Amino acid sequence: MALIDFFKKIEPDKEKSPLLHTAYDAFFTFAFTPNTVTPDGGTHIKDGMDLKRTMFYVVIALQLCFLFGTYNIGHQHFLALGVHESFLAGFHLKLAYGLVKLLPIFIVANVVGLGIEFWYASNRGHGVEEGFLVSGALIPLIMPPDVPLIWLAFSVAFAVILGKEAFGGTGMNVWNIALLSRVFIFFAYPTTISGDEVWVAGLTSTEAGAAVDYTWWQTGFFNGIFEAFGWSTFDPGLTVADGYTGATPLALAANGIPGTDLVGWEAVTSVYSESQMWWGTIPGSIGETCKPFIIVGAILLILTKIASWRIMLSMVIGAALAGMGMNALGLTPFMEVPWQYHFYMGSFFFAMAFMATDPVTASGTLTGKWIYGFFIGVIGMIIRVLNPAYPEGWMLAILLLNTFSATIDNYVLKANIKKRLQRA
Amino acid sequence: MEGSFVNIFIKAAFIENLVLMYFLGMCSYLAVSKSIKTAFGLGLAVIFVLAVTMPINWLIHEHLLSENGLFGRDLTFLKLILFIAVIASMVQLVEMVVEKVSPALYNALGIFLPLITVNCAILSGSLFMVTREYTLGETIAFGLGGGFGWFIAIVALAAIREKIRYSNVPAPLRGLGMAFLITGLMGVAFLGLMGIDPAALQ
Repeated sequence: MALIDFFKKIEPDKEKSPLLHTAYDAFFTFAFTPNTVTPDGGTHIKDGMDLKRTMFYVVIALQLCFLFGTYNIGHQHFLALGVHESFLAGFHLKLAYGLVKLLPIFIVANVVGLGIEFWYASNRGHGVEEGFLVSGALIPLIMPPDVPLIWLAFSVAFAVILGKEAFGGTGMNVWNIALLSRVFIFFAYPTTISGDEVWVAGLTSTEAGAAVDYTWWQTGFFNGIFEAFGWSTFDPGLTVADGYTGATPLALAANGIPGTDLVGWEAVTSVYSESQMWWGTIPGSIGETCKPFIIVGAILLILTKIASWRIMLSMVIGAALAGMGMNALGLTPFMEVPWQYHFYMGSFFFAMAFMATDPVTASGTLTGKWIYGFFIGVIGMIIRVLNPAYPEGWMLAILLLNTFSATIDNYVLKANIKKRLQRA
Repeated sequence: MEGSFVNIFIKAAFIENLVLMYFLGMCSYLAVSKSIKTAFGLGLAVIFVLAVTMPINWLIHEHLLSENGLFGRDLTFLKLILFIAVIASMVQLVEMVVEKVSPALYNALGIFLPLITVNCAILSGSLFMVTREYTLGETIAFGLGGGFGWFIAIVALAAIREKIRYSNVPAPLRGLGMAFLITGLMGVAFLGLMGIDPAALQ
C-alpha cells in the first residue's frame, strides 16, 4: 500500500471534527505536494517553492545553532562549577545537561504556539500555515537557558495571538513573532530575565559557593545511564567556583570589571579571548553565541534566496559605520571599543541572518531593503552602546524598523512612480 | 548650548514620543490614520501648530502671566485658558491655509482639522514647557521635536494600516481595534530608545 493510500484512509471527517482535520491536513501537506498545480501556458513559475519549503530551509539553517547551543548550555554550566573546563571534557555530561534544559523550552514554545495556531486555523476555517515552524525554532534559540517555562508560554501566546493571529495569520504580521515573544518576556519580567545570572543554567546564584539545582533528570535518569556505562556522573555536591562571574562580553564592555580599572574592550579580553567569542563558548542566549555556524546558516539562506543579502550587507555596513562614529567620539569606555570587535560580542550575526531578513516584516522593495538594513545596524549599535537600560540592541532595533518598513516601502514606491513618470 | 537644542529635539521626537510614550493626541491619531496622504497632511499641521504656538505661549507665560511679567502678579492660573486661545487661533489659521492650498486634504481631514485645537499633544507641549522651565530656544526645539515625533508616528501607523487593509483580521478587531493594537506594539518597539540620554554624550 502506498503511503498516500494510508493517509487517505485515516483522514478525519472535516465536518465532524474540524480540529482533527486541520491537524491532519497540516501533516498531510508535509508529506505530499498539493495536486493543484499551475497548468502549462498559465502563469510562469520557475520553481515549486511553496511556503512549507521556504520555512523548512530556515529550520534547516538553524540546526547547527541548535546543536551548538545545546552543548554550550552544558559547557557554560560546568565552566561555572570549575570542572570539565576544556571544551570536549565531560562531553556526555554537557550534552545531557543541555538537552535537559533545551528540550522543555523547545517543547513549551512549540506546543503553545502550534496549539494556538491549530485552534485558530480550525476556527477560522483555513489550513494550518507553516509560519510557526520557523518562529517555534527561533524562539528557543533567543531565550536565555534558565528562562522559566510558564513565562515562556505566556510570551509565546502573546506573540502568536496579538502579533500574528490578530493581524490575519501567517504572512500578515507586521512585527517579527519570535522577537515579539522575546521583547514581551524582557519587558514583562525585567528583573529576572536580564542581568548576569540568567545566561548560565542551573545555578541558584553566581556567587562563589552557590549550589547547583539538579533535578531528577540529572541525578536520577542520566546518572543511572552514565553509571551503567561507567562514565563520570553529575555531582549534586558541586558549587560555583571562586572568581566566576558569568558576565557576558557585552556586560563587561558596558560596566567594566568592578574593583579593577579594566574597562571597555580590555575588560572583555581579560575574561574571554577573541577566539572564544568567535566560536561561541561564552554565556548568552542559547543559539546566538557561535558566529561561524550562524554564518553557515546565513549562506544557506542566501544561496536558496530565502533571505536577502541586501539586508544583511547593509546591516553590517550600518553597524560598522555607527561603530566607527562612536570610536571617533570615544566618550565612554564602551564607545571606545574598536568597531570591528562589536561583531564578536552579542547577537549581531544571529539578528542579521535570521531576524532582520524575515521576508514578511522586512521592507519588500530593493531600495527599501538597503535603507531598512542600514538603519537596523545604526540603531542597534546606538541602543547597544548608548542606552544603559538594555544590554543588547538588535531585538529592539529590528522591531523599531519593522514598524517603519511599511512606511519605507510606501515612499520607495512613490519615488519610483515619480521617476518613471518623468522618464515617460 | 546648540547641542542642548538638538538633544531636546531628539528626545521629544524619538525617546519621549508624545503619542507612543505619553499616549497624547490619540483622538485624531487613531481617526485620521487610515491613509498615508491624510496622515501626512495632519502630521504637518500638528508640527506647524506646535512649533508656532509654543513660542507664543512661552512669551505669554513669561511676560504676561509670571510674577516678573507686565502685570507684576502671579497670573499663571490663567495659563490654560490663554494657551487654548492661542492654539485655537493658530488652528484657525492653519485651517484657512489648508482650505485654500489643498481643498482635497481639507475635505479628507474633515472635522479633525479644527479638532487639532483640542489635540492634547499640542496643549501638553505648552504645559511640559512650563513644568520643565524651558528657555525660548528650548521651547522651539521641543515644539519642533514633539511635532515631528507625532508626525512620524501617525505616518508609520497609516502605512501599517494601509498594508494590512486586505488582511484577514478577525471581525471584532477590524478598524479601530487594530489601530489600538498597532499603536501598543509600536510603543513596545519604541521602548528600545527609552533610557538613552543625549545630554550625557556632550
